[in-house]
Amino acid sequence: MRRLLVVALAALVFPAAASAHATLTKTQPQYGTRVEQSPRVVRLDFDQTVDALPNAIKVYTADGKLLSGPTHTTTGGRVMVAPVSRLARGGYTVRWQAISADGHVVSGVFTFGVRQKAPSASDAFGAGGPTTEEHVVRWLYFVALALLAGGLGFRLLIVRRPFAPAAQRRFYQLVGVGVIGALEVGILAFLLRAEDALQLPFVDFLYGDLSPLAKTRFGTAFVAMTLGYALVAALVFLAWLTEREQLLWPAFLLALGFASGLSLSGHSAADAGSSWLSELADWLHLAAASLWVGGLVQLAFVVWPLEPELRRRAFLRFSKLATLLIVVLLAAGTYLSILRLPHLSDLWTQRYGHVLLVKLGLVSLALLWGAAHHFLVRPRLEHGAPLFAGLPRSLAGESAVGMAILLAAAVLVDSKPPPQPVQKQLDVAARQR
Amino acid sequence: MQPPAEHVHWMFATGFLLLGLLLLARAVVGEEVWRRRTWRAYLWPSLLFGLGVLMWPVMVFFTNSTIHLVAHGMWAQTMMVGGAAELGLLRGKLHNRAWQLAVPLALAVSGASLLIHEQNGWLFARAAFLHHIMGWTALVGAIFPLVAIVRPRSRVWGSGLALTLVVLAVFLYADRDVAPIFGHLSPLAGEPHR
Repeated sequence: MRRLLVVALAALVFPAAASAHATLTKTQPQYGTRVEQSPRVVRLDFDQTVDALPNAIKVYTADGKLLSGPTHTTTGGRVMVAPVSRLARGGYTVRWQAISADGHVVSGVFTFGVRQKAPSASDAFGAGGPTTEEHVVRWLYFVALALLAGGLGFRLLIVRRPFAPAAQRRFYQLVGVGVIGALEVGILAFLLRAEDALQLPFVDFLYGDLSPLAKTRFGTAFVAMTLGYALVAALVFLAWLTEREQLLWPAFLLALGFASGLSLSGHSAADAGSSWLSELADWLHLAAASLWVGGLVQLAFVVWPLEPELRRRAFLRFSKLATLLIVVLLAAGTYLSILRLPHLSDLWTQRYGHVLLVKLGLVSLALLWGAAHHFLVRPRLEHGAPLFAGLPRSLAGESAVGMAILLAAAVLVDSKPPPQPVQKQLDVAARQR
Repeated sequence: MQPPAEHVHWMFATGFLLLGLLLLARAVVGEEVWRRRTWRAYLWPSLLFGLGVLMWPVMVFFTNSTIHLVAHGMWAQTMMVGGAAELGLLRGKLHNRAWQLAVPLALAVSGASLLIHEQNGWLFARAAFLHHIMGWTALVGAIFPLVAIVRPRSRVWGSGLALTLVVLAVFLYADRDVAPIFGHLSPLAGEPHR
């Protein structure tokens, strides 16, 4: 943060001293493409003149073998070219650096495939794996989605009438935090993924070309989700401003719909065994979890402290919805676990399995907690018994377990599932061809 | 298929010009006359908010550098927050007067972002010159809405923000992707294309 501040201030105070930087305008092969024949050279076109060090363009195989020769510039210094040895069928990573005439370094990475699909830029050779920061950011993203989609769902499906002013304010604050979080954390997640792929020092990263990343599945999801949640932010704001509750419906449906971006860009879309069914299951899993956790937060922090007359009705209604959500959550989760863990022993032999076990432990705790609410508290409330004094604390506790499940889910999403049996891998390779 | 950056700049120039003209009209006729029609009061903050929403596609589709992406995201958010705060105050949904600081802050942060994300010198090319001058215009222009908070009836301070936006629009209309400025174009900048 301090580094960012120093760089920002320096650039603001001495803008003219900051150096000119070239922008990559064209590559050959084009990034992210499949070529049928091995290229003889890798060529990069810039909008300005650049200097090239001998190893300015490096072409790597998937296992890191360097196949490019010394780089030189042509066309008045606007084009860098490096010869490459004959490339066999496979995925290749190009890492490049160019020095603008006044010394500023611009860099980037892209991939291409020879007679097969290009690897994703985030799977480029030399890309780092997910870091703790990425786990935390992914978790914050899930929390933001839960506050947004779960909050809107609770309001529209459970409460179904305007809140009292104080509860209304709290409701919009929580949903507002959710939608702003989805936008901000989404940007941060994209930049962290780009940093992993580019593997550049901080200042160079500021000028790193993100275009190849934007063309990956993850990048496409980032584009769609950012635009979608910007629209949701506008709708939520207008609903608050004009007090038109009906605007919350499109906001809710868009919030749930655009959450599918995660399902369409993650394991369920890209790994062996993935299909439209796995993508759908992943989205249902995420949507059900968001509605459950976000609904609990609304119940514990909006209805209970600020809408006493609504407590009993909201609790009973949410209890019914939660039962349905848990059925969807468990069904989709079980299907996805079977898909991603080819052997039961993967649960205790693979890291992915370990994280899944932690998540299952937390889910069991949440289910027990929910069952206590459903089977012990709900019948009493239905018969008009007075509200149990410890219930708000109990609801807050269940929400906290829900948040912990989202953290485990974040680590799980960033972890690599165990390798699939050979036939499944062949199926995926055939699809890629 | 992306439009050239200059086309996007011109589209936003149109938005800022409209915004500036609305504010200028308000400053000329005075706040009381301007608010005789309720809808009129909502025009400029709604436009500002809408411009913020429209900036998001620019952020996600122009990703040629990290700093570019961050700067466009900053403009999207500052415009949305500035417009939203004014709408909230108008509608009586926000009561704290501190929200009046949103527009001057939005202008100041936007100006700083313009200066930070332009890394070439003033005379590198026309686009670089315009980024510098627009950055400083926005930073200095932020003083007008700031003073207008404490002197709400002053036409000078009231029209200052309007004129700042008109000037920013003129600068944006003058933008070309690769073009000389005062006859100067760095050989590093590329071939001028008109």
